[in-house]
Amino acid sequence: MSPIKHKTIRMIKDKIFLFIVGALTLLAILPLFHIIISIIEKGLPIVLERGLTFITGTLSEGGIGPAIVGTLMLTALATIIGLPLAFLAGAYAYEFPNSFIGRATKMLLQIMLEFPTILVGTFVMGILVIPMGTFSALAGALALALILTPYVAVYTEEAMAEIPRIYKEGGYALGCTRAQVIFKVITKMAKKGILTGILIGMAKVAGETAPLLFTAGGLYEVYPTNPLEPVGAIPLLIYTLVQSPSIEDHQIAWGASLIMLIIFLAIFIPIRYSLKDDIKL
Amino acid sequence: MDLKKLLRKIDEFKIITLPAIFIVFILFVLILGFYFFNALPAIERYGIDLFITNVWKAAEEPAKEVYGLAAPIWGSIYTATIAVLIALPLSICYAIFVNDYAPKKLKYPLIIISDIMAGLPTIIYGIWGAFILVPLLRDHIMKFLYEHFSFIPLFDYPPLSGYCYLSAGILLGIMVTPFAAAIIREAYAMIPSVYKEGLVALGATRYETTKVLIKYIKPAIISGLILAFGRALGETVAVSLVIGNSFNLTYKLFAPGYTISSLIANQFGNAVLYEYMTSVLYSAGLVLFVVGLIVNIIGLYYLKRWREHVSH
Amino acid sequence: MTKIKMETKNLNLWYGEKQALFDINLPIYEKKITALIGPSGCGKSTFLRCLNRLNDLIPNVRIEGEVLLDGKNIYDKDVDVYELRKRVGMVFQKPNPFAMSIYDNVAFGPRIHGIKDKKELDKIVEWALKKAALWDEVKDELHKNALSLSGGQQQRLCIARAIAVKPEVLLMDEPTSALDPISTLKIEELMVELAKDYTIVVVTHNMQQASRVSDYTAFFLMGKLIEFGETEQIFLNPQKKETDDYISGRFG
Repeated sequence: MSPIKHKTIRMIKDKIFLFIVGALTLLAILPLFHIIISIIEKGLPIVLERGLTFITGTLSEGGIGPAIVGTLMLTALATIIGLPLAFLAGAYAYEFPNSFIGRATKMLLQIMLEFPTILVGTFVMGILVIPMGTFSALAGALALALILTPYVAVYTEEAMAEIPRIYKEGGYALGCTRAQVIFKVITKMAKKGILTGILIGMAKVAGETAPLLFTAGGLYEVYPTNPLEPVGAIPLLIYTLVQSPSIEDHQIAWGASLIMLIIFLAIFIPIRYSLKDDIKL
Repeated sequence: MDLKKLLRKIDEFKIITLPAIFIVFILFVLILGFYFFNALPAIERYGIDLFITNVWKAAEEPAKEVYGLAAPIWGSIYTATIAVLIALPLSICYAIFVNDYAPKKLKYPLIIISDIMAGLPTIIYGIWGAFILVPLLRDHIMKFLYEHFSFIPLFDYPPLSGYCYLSAGILLGIMVTPFAAAIIREAYAMIPSVYKEGLVALGATRYETTKVLIKYIKPAIISGLILAFGRALGETVAVSLVIGNSFNLTYKLFAPGYTISSLIANQFGNAVLYEYMTSVLYSAGLVLFVVGLIVNIIGLYYLKRWREHVSH
Repeated sequence: MTKIKMETKNLNLWYGEKQALFDINLPIYEKKITALIGPSGCGKSTFLRCLNRLNDLIPNVRIEGEVLLDGKNIYDKDVDVYELRKRVGMVFQKPNPFAMSIYDNVAFGPRIHGIKDKKELDKIVEWALKKAALWDEVKDELHKNALSLSGGQQQRLCIARAIAVKPEVLLMDEPTSALDPISTLKIEELMVELAKDYTIVVVTHNMQQASRVSDYTAFFLMGKLIEFGETEQIFLNPQKKETDDYISGRFG
């Protein structure tokens, strides 16, 4: 084969490769755009038609108000339950990365991160819903807290590990105890990373459906007031409405999806952009 | 004085954090134990048949109840495998494109888009899958394959509704691709630049360079795909909205099916009406628990080993 | 009569806003060893990477001026950069064998440049490994993974890999800085041997090395070429005060 011809073949291969890589990358991200466009196309008309009623009204009034409040309530309760646990576990894993318990904690947190969320829901049903005899916001929040904890713990550990050792040594050099060094010095310095973890964890659990299926119960005709009674949530409502045969229910599901997408993107994109410098290239 | 000394010796940090660690460990053991004990009645009654036969006979008389979970177990593995097969080329190409080819202005948006996709609430994938993706696949892909290629057994099930293994696998593939892509991209970016420069300095084209470099991150690719497989196994609501929810032990792509998680989502609500169904569903959960645990431990272990190997 | 193989004319280079090279004019003589010396960050490695356009890989790099190879500017638009890098080979500071067998490492270059015939490849591999003084150590285990070799062996493998494509110029970026003294000595002997056939440009931190192996020496400081001349002259009779200060160890 002549060298010129060989060269041409190499260049053609290079071009084909670039084309394939580019096309498949596009294919990988294309669904997001299709999802966003579909949700706007199907969800916007109903939200516009009903206006404020869609955000504040009950289901029979044509709105998803109780579900929105339910999601806020569940997320807040889950954070209250899960946050202390997560922060302390994360701090421990950071402080003792080489001890057996420290390593086991980190491994366990990472495993829990990938734990099927439906199993958390059925677990909480067994230990809380059945003994209490009713679905409740508390049960839903507990299930969500079990999902939130490993997220926040892993982020806390990673954020603390980013802080240069000299600060820790500086703290000890001033005669601080271990608790003072970690809870005052390191936590303060890792504040941004920890807060990011908390927000990402909250965004994550606010969008969860499966753990709520057998814990929260659902409540769409009145606003929730008591954490010991059933509560609704936007994702749970969407799941129920999608399975309904009625076209009108489907419309509400699309509208609720639009609200949810907006909330998610409004939280997620600013966080992600604030972390831009951490991306390894 | 002595008391003060004693107090100083006690590590407040451990006193504060150890209870949290204790709770986390206890919870984990509790969940495992909970599934095990609740699964026990069904396992004792049906034995190994519970996992290898495909029957679902719910009856008011406990003596007439018969259950076998083979179809949902198969469905979980089958759909997760389809998902990984889709994620494999997409996530590798994404990693290569973002690191080597994308102009600087495109890199961050591409990474953020992928991260959004990884974090998007699964119910959003669910509603889009059920109302948009499934009809699309049915009308443009499944019908075509069924009409022209039904001599291949994979394609010879009539795609009536479109809610089937293939739809679930494709939707899962879309959902786990960004997850695997993030792991692979990060690994690819960690390859020391001397290797790339060595290839380029020999006159290698970009294609030839990438072909060699990708071999360096093979362990990271494998662990990314294992973890993606684990994630696909556990996904519930999106799958249950597109898989068709019926007991079908088949490899035929257009047949409706079940996965363990969609079975639990669908049946758990009315399981209390029957004597054994709840326990059967907890057994299914136990299978998911154990398989997921093994898959994730293997994936995490590989990834950790690779990262340590690279950072040395 | 020594012929000029490569030459830079008014070469300037910027990393973004920061200028890293200032008006470099340097001849590189054929089949001679030219050493580039200077303190860390003086631009000698950056300069070396201009000679095979490896700086193309780094975003935000801007280059002005000319780099001539046999009288032709390698930054011209019509230059085939892959062909250029085949003619101007490179050995790096850290040994970087590819994760494949010894044989495949050496055969990689010839293969991509179009040699498919097994017998011919065998011949090239043997020739290159002999040239790199590695053949006797590895001839029985050519299909072993290259990463299992020692650091010194890996670096000689990288030299074999570079010469297997038969380049005209060989660039070496501190090739011995990661090696032990014995391996260093072997590589230095090898450089002198290779200079019979190749034009070599070597960046080094080690001034004894520069004086031992090179024919010409260029001294860089803060992105500028301070002095260039025959090695003996630079070391025994430097014309500039900065050069004198550096080689006598007063700074850097």
